[in-house]
Amino acid sequence: MDLYLASVLTNMTLIAFLALSAYLVLVVGEVSFGQQAFFCIGAYLTASVTALAGAHIVWGLLAGMLAGAVCALLLGFLTIRLSGLYFAISTLCFAELLRFSLLHIRFTQLIDGREIGPDGPEGFSNIRWIFEHNYAVTDFLLLAATCLLILLVLLFGLQRSHLMLAARMVGNDPVLAQSQGFNPHRYRLVFIALSGAVAGFGGGLFALFNTHIEPAMFGVMLGVHGLAYSIIGGLGTPLGPLLGVMLDIGLLESIRQLAAYRMILFGGLVALLLVFRPEGIASPRLVARLRRRWGRRRV
Amino acid sequence: MEVIQTSLDGLMVGSTYALLGLGFALVFGIMRRINLAFGACLLFGASLAIYLEPLLGWGAWGLFLVTMAGAALASAYVERLCFAPHSQRRGAVTAMIASFAIWMQLDEISSQLLPQRTHAYQGLEVPTLWLGELSVRGDQLLHFGMALVSIMLLYILLYKTRLGLLIRATADNPESAHLLGARVSWLGFVVFFLAGILGGVAAFMILSADGYATPLFGLWSTFKGLMAMIIGGVGSLLGAVVGGLILGLVETHAGAALGAEFRDMVTFGLVFLVLIIRPGGLMGVKIYRTDNAAQERV
Repeated sequence: MDLYLASVLTNMTLIAFLALSAYLVLVVGEVSFGQQAFFCIGAYLTASVTALAGAHIVWGLLAGMLAGAVCALLLGFLTIRLSGLYFAISTLCFAELLRFSLLHIRFTQLIDGREIGPDGPEGFSNIRWIFEHNYAVTDFLLLAATCLLILLVLLFGLQRSHLMLAARMVGNDPVLAQSQGFNPHRYRLVFIALSGAVAGFGGGLFALFNTHIEPAMFGVMLGVHGLAYSIIGGLGTPLGPLLGVMLDIGLLESIRQLAAYRMILFGGLVALLLVFRPEGIASPRLVARLRRRWGRRRV
Repeated sequence: MEVIQTSLDGLMVGSTYALLGLGFALVFGIMRRINLAFGACLLFGASLAIYLEPLLGWGAWGLFLVTMAGAALASAYVERLCFAPHSQRRGAVTAMIASFAIWMQLDEISSQLLPQRTHAYQGLEVPTLWLGELSVRGDQLLHFGMALVSIMLLYILLYKTRLGLLIRATADNPESAHLLGARVSWLGFVVFFLAGILGGVAAFMILSADGYATPLFGLWSTFKGLMAMIIGGVGSLLGAVVGGLILGLVETHAGAALGAEFRDMVTFGLVFLVLIIRPGGLMGVKIYRTDNAAQERV
């Protein structure tokens, strides 16, 4: 496969993790501007575990995932009273606080003649796991895509589960859900933690693929893009966020001749799309209708 | 003495934040919506002004007028494309994401107008004022006055005119205002236009005090406006003004005491704490409560 194509596809896969984590928060009816924080935590932790401690990437990715989930749970507890705009801004502040703190964290060690470790604004360089184990870009793409596929299978398995249906109910109307005996706070915390885990895992892969990470990469733009992909794609199925990613990165890469004007075109297109499909392309309503029609044909 | 000097500087900066906060608070108060493209509208206005400046040659006042007009027009465009189609109750998130898309678009247009990283933005030449050992930059004092006048004008418009009455009625309860004959959708447009004008004034004040404009101005002003609004209390106009002044004071004091690199951390931390401890901010507690009550009323 063409090297360029492979790296574009890998980037799409990695951003898909972020979009799916935004999707999990949206399912319980909240908007988060801070998913990049968990992505960032996952990236730094995976980098530390593999490059500093020299462990296998399985441990690195697991550590990133766990750290993402724990931090998300912490944020969830802190913001348990907030919803809507208040929740969105508090996640934004959390993410920015984390990013600014990373500018002051320095812990470098000399390993094999290289300075390795987080070094303030310079970031964390020399995450050399994929070089040391002779992973080509296409191999890494395969690895990332497999992980994404497993995640998607899990999410599709959850789709009709009690947990997901209850969470959607909480998202649609917390008061109604409460009157049916579902504790909205519990479902919110579970889904925020899950979103943290997904973002942390994606961040770990991001660190391994980029081999260099720095705080400036995890600005608010990254998180809002992930959020926008979920909204454009629609919340009906886990494929929605993927659709959003493909639309954005795929379309942008295909109109590269117009590079200078592409955001002018694309921004307008997205706003227009949302006028005609306010719930995104694969909206819950569309998915329900398709499922009904498909079901009837099978009977 | 140094503390007083820092506080004075903080108030001067805070007055511009107050205007940015008012831009957000107006929109949120009336429509319960967040316009993420607010900063981008200001950037667009400023870029247009810098682009047209050599053609028009009107100097600083030309920059002021074009910045204001550009920001107001961009704001009106954002309202028509992103907020008018999503006026139902459930459209809040969709409208926000649509405004994010337009943010990207306006950013790109601005960077087409201004290809370099920094551009000179001419300020007004006013001598520095000395009061004993204290100094106030003349142009900043003038800006402070402009901010006060803008806020006064907004107050008169909202509390002394029929249009203001309609706007406040819509903010209180859009459904009943609609039943009583207010054109809610048109009022939304007017409010966005007003927010754009206020933002344009703020953009002129900030950029001419700095002396230059960068493409990062859009993101920066969106952040400052949101933070001023949150500290003062979401949806409260007086709160936005007070919140802006507090933000300015905290920022300059934190910068003086801890250095520039910790300044942003302190402000983000402050907003985070305000949200966790007192989500209604200083003056928005009533709005926070009624919103929550409205949610709980099935």
